[in-house]
Amino acid sequence: MRYLLLFFTFLLTGCFKEPLYHSQSYVFGTLVDISIYGETDERARFLANNILADFQNLHKQLHAWKPVSGNKLSELGELNAAISAGNQAVKVSPALANMLLDATDLSLKSNGLFNPAIGHLISTWGFQRDEFSAVNVNETAVKNLLHAQPRMTDLVIKANFIYSTNPTVKLDLGGYAKGYALDIAASYLRKEQAKNALINIGGNVIALGKHGDNPWRVGIQHPRAPTAIATLELADGWAIGTSGDYQRYFMLNGQRYCHIIDPRTGYPAQQTQSVTVLVPPQASSKTQAGVLSDVVSKPIFIETAANRNAAAQAFGIENFMVIDAQAAIFVSAKMVNKLHWTDAGVKFSTLP
Amino acid sequence: MLVLNFLHYPKQLINKLLMGDWLIIILSLVGIFYLFQSLWTNEHAARVQISVGNEIYATYSLNQQREIHLHGKLGDAVISISQGKARFSQSPCNTQYCVHQGWLSHAGQVAICLPNQISLELLGERKLYDSLNY
Repeated sequence: MRYLLLFFTFLLTGCFKEPLYHSQSYVFGTLVDISIYGETDERARFLANNILADFQNLHKQLHAWKPVSGNKLSELGELNAAISAGNQAVKVSPALANMLLDATDLSLKSNGLFNPAIGHLISTWGFQRDEFSAVNVNETAVKNLLHAQPRMTDLVIKANFIYSTNPTVKLDLGGYAKGYALDIAASYLRKEQAKNALINIGGNVIALGKHGDNPWRVGIQHPRAPTAIATLELADGWAIGTSGDYQRYFMLNGQRYCHIIDPRTGYPAQQTQSVTVLVPPQASSKTQAGVLSDVVSKPIFIETAANRNAAAQAFGIENFMVIDAQAAIFVSAKMVNKLHWTDAGVKFSTLP
Repeated sequence: MLVLNFLHYPKQLINKLLMGDWLIIILSLVGIFYLFQSLWTNEHAARVQISVGNEIYATYSLNQQREIHLHGKLGDAVISISQGKARFSQSPCNTQYCVHQGWLSHAGQVAICLPNQISLELLGERKLYDSLNY
């Protein structure tokens, strides 16, 4: 009798190991964090490894500044080399052609604030490197590039052949590729009928299903402290993306220069610490949630305070949060009820 | 059998319990209550999990004074643990963002050194979130 009771007591306390698989790896020069719930460990590992292999391939296809193996450039690198040499049209994969068509549409919607054609400006500021250090800004180079106006609409894309009418275009999909990778991973998992997963690529996160009985919960990084400023639930098919001035930046004479360049001035945007956008699932014919979570934070980051709402609305985004350079927090009306602040005494303003 | 008996004739069974049985039941309940209290409500971290590259390198208790020397992608880094806190104290990376993060003490806090591919995460019993949108 007593042994049985003892046995059941232990059974109750030592119980359930959650069916949660978790892995983290470095791809795209950032941290990739994959959680899969409700699959056996073996199957979850198999799924995660396939996702990581897909990401590795995308990275090789889209790397904007480094040869990917030996002296061989990425597919995007080859295209950039041809554009800059003013050569004839280059044949690219249908996947890349579609990405660039989509990125062009998004660039137009953002009034050019999301502009993947300004790769030369980004490298002038020293951000096309694995590690950043302070650069002395070459003002003439910035001015010349600004004057040359490289834009996505300079690209002519026809039946997978691409050329540019402007040789100063240098494509850098840094603000697109991670979101695209999320969409690829989500559609792969759906195809494999894995129902519950959370994928985080360097601050862009997409959710499938739930974490057991509860929704997945995501923490939003505090831009100036090593902690989450708030958490929120991420429902099935939703994506969230944060752009900040704290992961890729350098300091020069007390001034912070981050990797998000304002295409209108050629200088790093300086009135914002971070922008978070929360994106609902999109119709299958449209740009998917992952890409939007990556792209839409940029124009909001760059825009002046008065125009942030309009920048979000241009993409139909209703849920977003901005922390400006003075650390003032602005939350869109819809987003307010979704946030759980880590510090209950936090002060923020609700945007109309 | 006994379980079935317990379901059908609880009274008889309870009468049969000896002093020792009661002690075990009461002590177990107290134990569960104590663990629940101390582990679920405490947000101060108990352990630090260190990852190097794609692997979890190790998990250490924060209740110690210790320096951990690690070899990352770029070179040697040092992580310090002291009285419930942990931090990067040396890193071979250019930017030193990881070192500038300073001491971490609350569950859920993370410091990541992307260039050297080393990360710290403080673990408590309750996780505030599944993943951090950094």
